Amino acid sequence: MIKVTCRKLRKTFVQGETQIKGLDDVSLSIEKGEFVCLSGPSGSGKTTLLNALGGLHTPDEGTIEIDGDVISQMGASELADLRLRRIGFVFQSYNLIPVLSAQENVEFVMQIQGVDSQERDQRAKAILKEVGLEGMETRLPAELSGGQQQRVAVARALVSEPALILADEPTANLDSATAENLMQLLENLNRKHQVTLVLATHDTRIMGFARRQIRMQDGKIISDEISSGSQHALRGGDPLTASHQEQDF
Amino acid sequence: MNVSSLTIAFTLAWRNLWRNYRRTLIMLLAIGLGVWAMVFMTAMMRGMVDGMLKDGIRALPGHVQIHHPNYLDDPSVANSIAEPQGTLLDALNHPQVDAWAMRVKVPAVISSERETRGVMLLGVDAAAELNLSFDISHITQGQFLPSLTEEELAVDVQAQKAAKGIVIGVKLAQKLETRLGKRIVVMTQDIDNTIVDRGFRIVGLYQSDIPGFEEMYVYSDRRLIQSMVGLKGQVSEIAINGDGYRDNQALLSHIANASPADMKVESWRQVDAYLSAMLEMMDGFVLVWIVVIFLALSFGLMNTLIMAVFERVREIGLMQALGMRSSGVMRMILIESLLLLLLGLAAGNICSLLSIAAIQDGIDVTAVAEGMAMFGAKAVLYPVLQYSDMLLANVVVIVLGLLTSLYPAWRAAHYDPIVALNKH
Amino acid sequence: MNIELRLAWRNLWRHKKRTWITVAAMVFSNVLLVLMLSLQLGSYQMMIDNALGLFSGQIQIQHQDYLENPKFRDDIVHPQGLVNTLKQATDLETISSRGVTFALVSSASRSYGVQVVGVEPQSEPLVSTIPGLIIEGRYLQASSSKQNEDPVAEVVLGKVLARNLKVGLGDELTLLGSGRDGSFAAGVATVVGIFNSSLPALDRTMIQLPLDYFQHLFASENRASYVVLNTPTPLELTQLNATIAELLAQQRPDESLQVRDWDALQPGIRQAIQADLSSAAFMYGVLILLVAFSVMNTQLMSVLERTREFGTMMALGLKPWRLVKLIFLETTMMATLGMLLGAILGAMLTQYYHVVGFYYPGMEEMAAKFNLPERFYPDVTWFATFIGPIFVMIASIIAAIYPALKIRKLDPISAMRAV
Repeated sequence: MIKVTCRKLRKTFVQGETQIKGLDDVSLSIEKGEFVCLSGPSGSGKTTLLNALGGLHTPDEGTIEIDGDVISQMGASELADLRLRRIGFVFQSYNLIPVLSAQENVEFVMQIQGVDSQERDQRAKAILKEVGLEGMETRLPAELSGGQQQRVAVARALVSEPALILADEPTANLDSATAENLMQLLENLNRKHQVTLVLATHDTRIMGFARRQIRMQDGKIISDEISSGSQHALRGGDPLTASHQEQDF
Repeated sequence: MNVSSLTIAFTLAWRNLWRNYRRTLIMLLAIGLGVWAMVFMTAMMRGMVDGMLKDGIRALPGHVQIHHPNYLDDPSVANSIAEPQGTLLDALNHPQVDAWAMRVKVPAVISSERETRGVMLLGVDAAAELNLSFDISHITQGQFLPSLTEEELAVDVQAQKAAKGIVIGVKLAQKLETRLGKRIVVMTQDIDNTIVDRGFRIVGLYQSDIPGFEEMYVYSDRRLIQSMVGLKGQVSEIAINGDGYRDNQALLSHIANASPADMKVESWRQVDAYLSAMLEMMDGFVLVWIVVIFLALSFGLMNTLIMAVFERVREIGLMQALGMRSSGVMRMILIESLLLLLLGLAAGNICSLLSIAAIQDGIDVTAVAEGMAMFGAKAVLYPVLQYSDMLLANVVVIVLGLLTSLYPAWRAAHYDPIVALNKH
Repeated sequence: MNIELRLAWRNLWRHKKRTWITVAAMVFSNVLLVLMLSLQLGSYQMMIDNALGLFSGQIQIQHQDYLENPKFRDDIVHPQGLVNTLKQATDLETISSRGVTFALVSSASRSYGVQVVGVEPQSEPLVSTIPGLIIEGRYLQASSSKQNEDPVAEVVLGKVLARNLKVGLGDELTLLGSGRDGSFAAGVATVVGIFNSSLPALDRTMIQLPLDYFQHLFASENRASYVVLNTPTPLELTQLNATIAELLAQQRPDESLQVRDWDALQPGIRQAIQADLSSAAFMYGVLILLVAFSVMNTQLMSVLERTREFGTMMALGLKPWRLVKLIFLETTMMATLGMLLGAILGAMLTQYYHVVGFYYPGMEEMAAKFNLPERFYPDVTWFATFIGPIFVMIASIIAAIYPALKIRKLDPISAMRAV
């Protein structure tokens, strides 16, 4: 079953006098449960593609279907609902709402969805435990390390059980060890929950975690490879238990 | 919209409010000051007009008054009305009427041995007058006129003597260079246009807090004055009080329906255009004042919210990326504004209640007493808080405050999440 | 422009919208202040002019007890002599004497107790506007100069009184009262004119007759109750008062005469002005404070968001007071802009009302009470245009103290780390 399909996407940005091709005739389909890595230099179009998949950008041309729904034709509030129910986001930085605690950040999406408070509490606690943040539920983002913050963001992206998680340079502000931990976490979650994961990065350290590698340049896909096996065992051990002591200040 | 999304909007709004607590406190101070000024100033102005009206109505005959149709233009004995009888008397004794009195009221000249003054001579029934308008505690020397029945008056020599008394103001007595117990002569015109004069003994001196009143009005017994000017069974006016001066339409029609056609029934509003205009102007003034203060506040409010939104652009972008609709973002900002307004209103309302309570005994403005008298107001100002004014101030602040917040909220809701997220 | 000024100016426009909104708050308050103050000052001037010009005059010379208790017997002997002396000493022609008492006046059908004023028909128009407000007939005329002839028995009275007495031109009025010596005084005079002062108190209660007839009628030959004097400069009476007081002390040392200026004659006017000004001051104060809070908030934001920038500048060796100076420069620029725009717009609005007249519902009744016209034509004056805006400007600059103090507490290291 095909989960995400893009056909002939085009998107052009105008910056001053020059036109920048964000997406240039991009077609792509992603199966359910896939772990896809978009890579390429900055300006290659990977973030644009990610944002288009998340309904944050409307492409100039082409269509995007998620689970059969054509999102490129949706209005603003339909798109908001799409993001709310079917897509989880993890951003490079500034991922959390500063005035909300870790658990409240995780509950945020569920609250907008209207999930009742008991269920919210249960699910948020469970997912925070799963990402290794048990006991830190009441901390504010400012009281968490960068890696912990990204874990909260991952927990939030996962908690509403979206079909698709989009992560844009989630490790950009993290040191190597922390970045690796985060990637192991993502990979495990991908396996365990069968959630489709699309990651944009130019960090070569972490590309290997994904099973499918798509490389982009100047808004075009220049290669699309599926690696046979995971290369994640760089350090070994289960990331869910090994990653608690990270220090990345 | 659902309950939990509203809860999160409130939580966010409340916490955001205190992120920059200095700014919020300054804004609260401004709203509090504004609301205080709205309510306090309004209460003072209301108090001033209220005092004017009460005095004015006391100096005038009453909430509702009955005259000969020509009397107000030409206050002469010729323009008199019959003493109330039949249906009118029944209507006057109806519970809807608080108090009533009839008077003979004629212009006269009063002379002591040394001085002469023009006055208004009131022939009154002591009991009814005390009930309606005359405050017995204002008598500083001697006493008010005695209340005498017809029988007493007919047989009792002492009573006849007492009935020939007159009560005048302290200031008038000074001007006339006379005092309690002295005789004075009152000269006026009778029903046949003949000048009549009669000697009276001063039995009481009174003081009035209404400017000019005590130099103008002198009181004597109605029957005495009726016989002096030759008015048999006739009076100049009937004054009626209901339970309040503001709304007297019911009382007016109650009396009007029972009155003979040759009598004119009017409320004080028709008789004193200045007071009535003052009362109406007050309502306009209250609204204008409240709106002006609000407008002065609104610039600060708008700026505060614009800044609050501006600082949080990235976070708002994040929330939108996470699936919060623009309407949700707008709601969040509006709730933040609402909370700010409510806190400011609470502070302002409490301060105004406290400050009004603190000066409940009045502010002495004797220094400008004659100036206040020119406006018709007294030397002591009492605040009169009308809850409707307070409500108006609160409603104006909330409604206009939210309207003011619409722009920043709309701006927040329509940031492009991508641009917002990438903003530094 | 020097570098600091340029820096301040540019900083101001980093947040265009915020700066304009803050300036708009100033302009809003300033326009209100200018208009309200112009209206107030205009109405005060009119109150003074109308209230004094109508009858009481700007200065009166009276017996010292007369003001407190105007008794017939506390009067002035040989008023003509005093008037002449005054004319010489002050170089003013606008001087006249009056006799005042109360009497009962009767027409064929009505009688009222009224104030009877004896005036000098020739000089009265110089001190009062009533002679010019005759709506029917004419004002009093000077009696013939023949010594042995009886003075002319004619009278003018207010419109309302004439209506109440049911008299018209040519009708006769009987006056009954007491003479100066306590004797019975009675006379008959012909109505020659009716005036309309629009002030009910005067129109209902006053009649005027020639002073010589008054003296004859009330047995007060060669006497007057007081002398009235008008000057072109009613607001600067101190010098004149002193001159007259000195004159009185020299010429009439035994008569206990006193100079009374309009403030003493009608303390109500000044007090009404004071009462009105103090409630207005409260309102203006609140408006100005609200603007100050707006400015304080804006400048606080502007300081807080530049914490990092200021930290860097301080790390580079800039003394904190220079940054404080910068904040004050910015505020002063903003406040000056607000002041100028507010003053200009306020003056324009005032000028608009100067042309079309200002009116609000209920004003007619107010105007009638204070003897003012029904529409108001405020003048644009420098004072009213700038006093309010200058206060707003000062308050704004004071409001910047708190944000500026924040700078003094900045520690460059932590400031640079701030987001």
